[in-house]
Parts: sequence; C-alpha cells; structure tokens
Amino acid sequence: MRPLSEDETKAVFEKLANYIGKNLVHLIDRPEDDAHVFRLHKDRVYYLPLPMLHYATSIARPNLVSLGTCMGKFSKTGKFKLGVTSLDWLARYAKHKLIWIKPAGELPFLYGNHIVKAHLGRITEDTPEHQGVVVYNMADVPLGFGVTARSTLDTRKLDPSGIIVFHQADVGEFLRDEDTMF
Amino acid sequence: MAQTIEGQLSNGPPAVLPRDTVEVDAGLLAAFDNSPVEPEAYSSNLPSHLLDLTLTSTHHLISTLFQLPTTSTASGLMVQLPAAKTLLPREKPLPKPKPLTKWERFAKEKGISHKQRDRMVFDDERQEWVKRWGRGGKNKEVEEQWIHEVKAGEDPDHDPAASAKKARKERVAKNEAQHKANLAHATAPTSTRSISAQNSENRSKRKVELERSMLLTKTSTASLGKFDKKIEGEPKTKGVKRKFEPNVGEDWEGEKGRAMDVLKGLDGKKKREGKGEGEINVRKAVRFHTREERIKGGSSAGSKSVKGKRRS
Repeated sequence: MRPLSEDETKAVFEKLANYIGKNLVHLIDRPEDDAHVFRLHKDRVYYLPLPMLHYATSIARPNLVSLGTCMGKFSKTGKFKLGVTSLDWLARYAKHKLIWIKPAGELPFLYGNHIVKAHLGRITEDTPEHQGVVVYNMADVPLGFGVTARSTLDTRKLDPSGIIVFHQADVGEFLRDEDTMF
Repeated sequence: MAQTIEGQLSNGPPAVLPRDTVEVDAGLLAAFDNSPVEPEAYSSNLPSHLLDLTLTSTHHLISTLFQLPTTSTASGLMVQLPAAKTLLPREKPLPKPKPLTKWERFAKEKGISHKQRDRMVFDDERQEWVKRWGRGGKNKEVEEQWIHEVKAGEDPDHDPAASAKKARKERVAKNEAQHKANLAHATAPTSTRSISAQNSENRSKRKVELERSMLLTKTSTASLGKFDKKIEGEPKTKGVKRKFEPNVGEDWEGEKGRAMDVLKGLDGKKKREGKGEGEINVRKAVRFHTREERIKGGSSAGSKSVKGKRRS
C-alpha cells in the first residue's frame, strides 16, 4: 500500500472528473474529522478514511485483501479503470450528470447491455457527448454508470433502438464478477 | 664505391695518437667515437674539446682509408670502399600486404588451397596444348566452331554461336564487377565485413549513443527531467529510482495539498482546451437564444425581424 504518484493521481482524477466534475473537490477537501485518502494496493486504488489507513498499516501486504472503497484499478499500461464499487461515491457527488431508466430497461442494463433510447426515462439537460453519467432507476437507486453516446439534443432524432449510453459498470457485476472483483 | 683523396693528406700517417674507442665504417665514410665524456674537459672548454675529439675521429677515418686497396687513375688516387657495416633504418614504411579478394578471403576461411590455373590447357580432340583464353582460346571453342548442333525441340532461328558469345561476355562482365567490388572493399575502411553489415552496425551503435545522450540530458535538469515533455517511444529511464511519498508518515494536510495541486492542473488543462466548466456552454446559449427569439417572434412578427436583428 502506498500513496499515488503524481501521474497516477492525475489518471484517477481525470476519470473521476468525467463523472462528478467539479464535485471532485469534495472527495479531496474534506473536514478534518472526516479525512479520506487515496491509496494504491496491488494496482487497485482505494479511497479510505484516514483512521482506517492507520489500522491497515499493521496488516502485511500479502494479507491485505481490500480496504475502504475500491475506486478502480490500473491496467498494466498505466490506464485507470473505474470499478462498480466506486458507484456509491459517484452517485453521491454526480449532481448534474444523471440518467434515469424505465423499469423495463433495468434488467438489460444490469446484465451488462448498453442503454437504448426506448429505456430512457429522464436525462439531465445539456449532457454533452461522451460524458460520464450515473444511471438510476425511476426509484432513484443507482444501478451503475456509463458514457453518453449522443448529446441530449441528438437523442431526439434517434430511433428507439439506438444506443444512448454505453455501459461501463453496473451493480450486476457484484454477482457476475464476484470472484475477480476485489 | 670510390673516393678521391686529397693530395696533401697522402703525405704520411696522422700525427695525433688514435684512440681505441673510435669505430670506423669506411663504406659510409663515417667514424664513431664511443668514449665516455670527460666531465672536466667538457665543462672547462667545450669548443676545443669537441675539436679535439673530431680530430682523432677524422684521423682514424683517414688512416683507415689509406689501408684500403687503391687504384691510380688519371684524376688521382682512387680507394675501393667496402660495403657499409652500419645498418641504417628503412626510409619508407614496409609495403602493405595485398588485400585479399572475396574468393581468397572465403578460401582462407574455409581452408581451401587455391591452385593457380595454367594459361594453357590440353585439348583432347586436337591432342595439343591450347590457350585457356585469348586469341583462339579454349573459351571461344563453342562460338568459333564452324558447325553447330541444333538440339531437338530447340527454336530453329536460335543462334548457338551468338548465345555462346553472349554467355562468355556475361562471364567477363561479371568478373569485372567482382574485381571492382574487390577493389572497393580493399579501399574501404579496415574491416572484413560487408558494407550493409557495417551500416546496420553503425546504425545500432548510433542508436545506443543517441539513447544514452538522451538519458543524460533528461537527467541533467535540476528536476531530473520530471517536468519534461514525454516523447513517443523515448527510452525508459533506468537508474532513476521511483520514489513514493510515505504511506502514513506525512500529515494529511500535505497530502491534500498535493491532490489539490493535481486537480488545479487538470482544471487549467481543461480551460486551455476550452472544456472548462466555468466557460459558457455554447450549445445551451444558442438554445436559450433561439427560444427567446421564438417567443419574441411569436408575439410580434415572423422570422424576418429575427434576421434583421441578427445582422445589427
């Protein structure tokens, strides 16, 4: 376990900023009694409260499986990939880039498919193309996140079977990828 | 070799006592005094001392000349000089060995002993020795014979003599080319490898040098090249150890400050690229504008007034 280097921090922040934008500040600049830090352990990036870090230092590296919230992992080529475990934090801070899907679209999305226009319930106004969005169901439960395929304006011209959000991660992964998740 | 002797010197033997240490090489007309230097005489009066030494040596030389066999000619007495005893160093460097041809190099490498071919070959049909090449040579046998066999299935217009001559000319041309290549190789810088191999070696050598100098320059800045722009395919810096912040030792404020700095850098980058969140959302602005126009247009006139407004 170690702090992220500058390049790594940049890669992580760039990805997170794609989803939560300026609210990323709130992940870093927190009150003193609720301090959180980013840590890298076995190529995975964890976001954890400071006291937990102090507890975790007593655990040997091979024995430490996971700690705090796993935000995602670094590929061997140094790219950062957000994991579905980061959904809680994303959903909390992604205020303006959201998408709601109809009940009929929930299952297809949770099976790892892209979201088509027919399943779209609501979408935040003025979402540009290739913007990271958090996906909710109509009962405001976060289901996952993805990247918009079209801007909000362009979705109007789209036919019902056209893809509007590319799937990135969904809570169905907790079951599907249970073995490799942590 | 002969040398005339001055008449006045031929009167008698020299008066000065000769030293034992003087060696004379009559063939070169030279005398060498090997006696050690006497410090007293040397330091007290150098010119007279040197003159003294020279005198004894000269006497020795001349007395030796008189002992040699002489012949008298019309121009005076001639002395028969012996061959020189002293070995002088060679004036010019030794000739370089002749550079090997490609075949000779190959033969040497493989241990093939090459036998020089005779200029003459024995002609079995004529039962006599004929030249291998040249006028009426064995190599022109086919093209110069008076009748040619046309083999079955061969083109009747085919000229065997011409084709044989062509083949011979080609062999000559090939030999010329090989000779030229050998000459080029001999004048090339000292190496027995082929030019292409040398080029590739030079290339790789240059590459290594380039990478080395690049690494050196990269690590020559005050920040060890930390803030330098990365070039695509640049060599990985070896020897510069990765260094991470301590896991827990640092206070949280410091870590937060570093993270905020990175975040600020990202914001700055976005602004430079025109994607900053503080910037005007052009799409939204256009949409607001068109909506306003629509509302205004609906209340007053058609689209004509809108156009007019835009122009102003």
